[in-house]
Amino acid sequence: MHFGKVSIHKRESENIYLLGIETSKEIIKNFQPGQFIKIKINYRLDPLIPRPFTVHAVEENNFYILYQIKGKGTKALSKLKEGEEVEFLAPLGKPFPVLQNYVICAGGIGIAGFGYLLQCANSKNRFKPPDAIFYGARSKSELVRLEFLSEFKIPLEIATDDGSAGYKGFITDLIEEELKKEHKDILACGPLPMLKKIAEIGKKYKVRTYLVMETFLACGIGFCRGCVIPLKKGGYIHLCVDGPTFLAEEIDLETIS
Amino acid sequence: MRLSVNLNGLKLKTPLMLASGTWGLGDNIDKFFTKEEVETYIGAFVTKGISVNPREGNPPPRLCETPCGLINSIGLENPGIKEFKAKYLPMLKIYNIPIVVNLHGEKIEEFLELVEALKEEEIEGIELNISCPNVKKGGISFSSDPKAVEDLVKEVRKSWDNFFAVKLSPVGAVFEIAEICQKQDVDAIVVANTYPALGVINLKPLKIIKGGLSGPAIKPLTLRLVYELSQRIDISIIGCGGIISGKDALEYLFCGARAFQIGTANLIDPRNVIKIIEELKTFEI
Repeated sequence: MHFGKVSIHKRESENIYLLGIETSKEIIKNFQPGQFIKIKINYRLDPLIPRPFTVHAVEENNFYILYQIKGKGTKALSKLKEGEEVEFLAPLGKPFPVLQNYVICAGGIGIAGFGYLLQCANSKNRFKPPDAIFYGARSKSELVRLEFLSEFKIPLEIATDDGSAGYKGFITDLIEEELKKEHKDILACGPLPMLKKIAEIGKKYKVRTYLVMETFLACGIGFCRGCVIPLKKGGYIHLCVDGPTFLAEEIDLETIS
Repeated sequence: MRLSVNLNGLKLKTPLMLASGTWGLGDNIDKFFTKEEVETYIGAFVTKGISVNPREGNPPPRLCETPCGLINSIGLENPGIKEFKAKYLPMLKIYNIPIVVNLHGEKIEEFLELVEALKEEEIEGIELNISCPNVKKGGISFSSDPKAVEDLVKEVRKSWDNFFAVKLSPVGAVFEIAEICQKQDVDAIVVANTYPALGVINLKPLKIIKGGLSGPAIKPLTLRLVYELSQRIDISIIGCGGIISGKDALEYLFCGARAFQIGTANLIDPRNVIKIIEELKTFEI
């Protein structure tokens, strides 16, 4: 585990927080977009297992995670104060695939990991910028980091379930409209129903579709074999070492609930 | 305190053994430790449970966190003995520490086939898994049937001369099975495996996981088992249940264990091994 210090902890919406951790550049230089870290929360026995979060952004000797309070792990995390020490394991998992002509699709907190992808693409490393960012949420108040996202000068398409911002409806409707015009690969992260719909759309328009999957995981490093994702051909792969990003056509999404 | 232990011929530099299934098959050790660290801190490496044929394991969900604990239902996912020997064992042998292979079988014949397959390998020991709560057939039936355990350990003892441990279930005929192990010249018993438990993943619709509970939540329960077993029998006991600190380990050692295994602590932080031993060293005993 590495050590860091909370450099910023800011509420971005009712339930979404931005947490900055200051650590050494030596550690951060190994991070790639799509990878995740595991944070030990306050040295408590409950929650026992450190929680995984994707890297949202990197700046000098700070990295950021963007998280939503969902359970006791994230609730405990939200109590961290600036200046407090944190222990984390990083980087874990495989980076996003390097794509050429593609769009990003984010549902809710699924936007988190794409911030760092945009940063890397912007700094002209091997990652390329997407043609557009499709970002959906239930309501305007849950759309976060819009100012940060706009810095990259990439077309941003917004959808909200209640129509309080952008298109009223699902972000997947907008993706489908885009693909009707031009076939592009998709990189998607968000709630399972959205991922299932994206997989359908990707199949319909015959584009390469990558999904960032989620499951409870324990070790995060391939030891315990706990975080399995079922494959269409039978058998399983492990989210922590084989993922978290997978080709949609390989995953048996029907059996995941 | 003095750390080295001799368990009926199995020489450990430290009393810390990596519990089966919590460090895979050793293929990732080098990502977290230097060779020197492995050889300094890890008394013995216990592999993930190996069966005759490969097993893909149970469908998800395989994990559920509970207060101070973790329920798992991995279902003994493993590549089978053939691939283990060809691919994984050579990686483990890089390290100059004892290797104990955890074996899983559904019948006595399968255990014997595994033992036979390991005879030609330079490994220091075997640990029989007769207590996995997560497989429908096999393991668990042994732990609830002392006669079946007696037949099994008698046969294995006949064909395996090196270190031989049996990992017991914490439930069922624990005392009776421990006595059988002693009578059949088993070198040590591991006390104990996880506790049969149930976790609720989702209420509506109800989604549950039935598996084995580990972690600090079980420490007082297993500690009592270790203590009481040590009062009744002389066989070496390897304590295993909820150790995440040097003090936890010390409690086991004072309550009758001669060595200990850590499992869930590895999943929290792979370098807990070092923290536990370093803390243990600070006790002036």
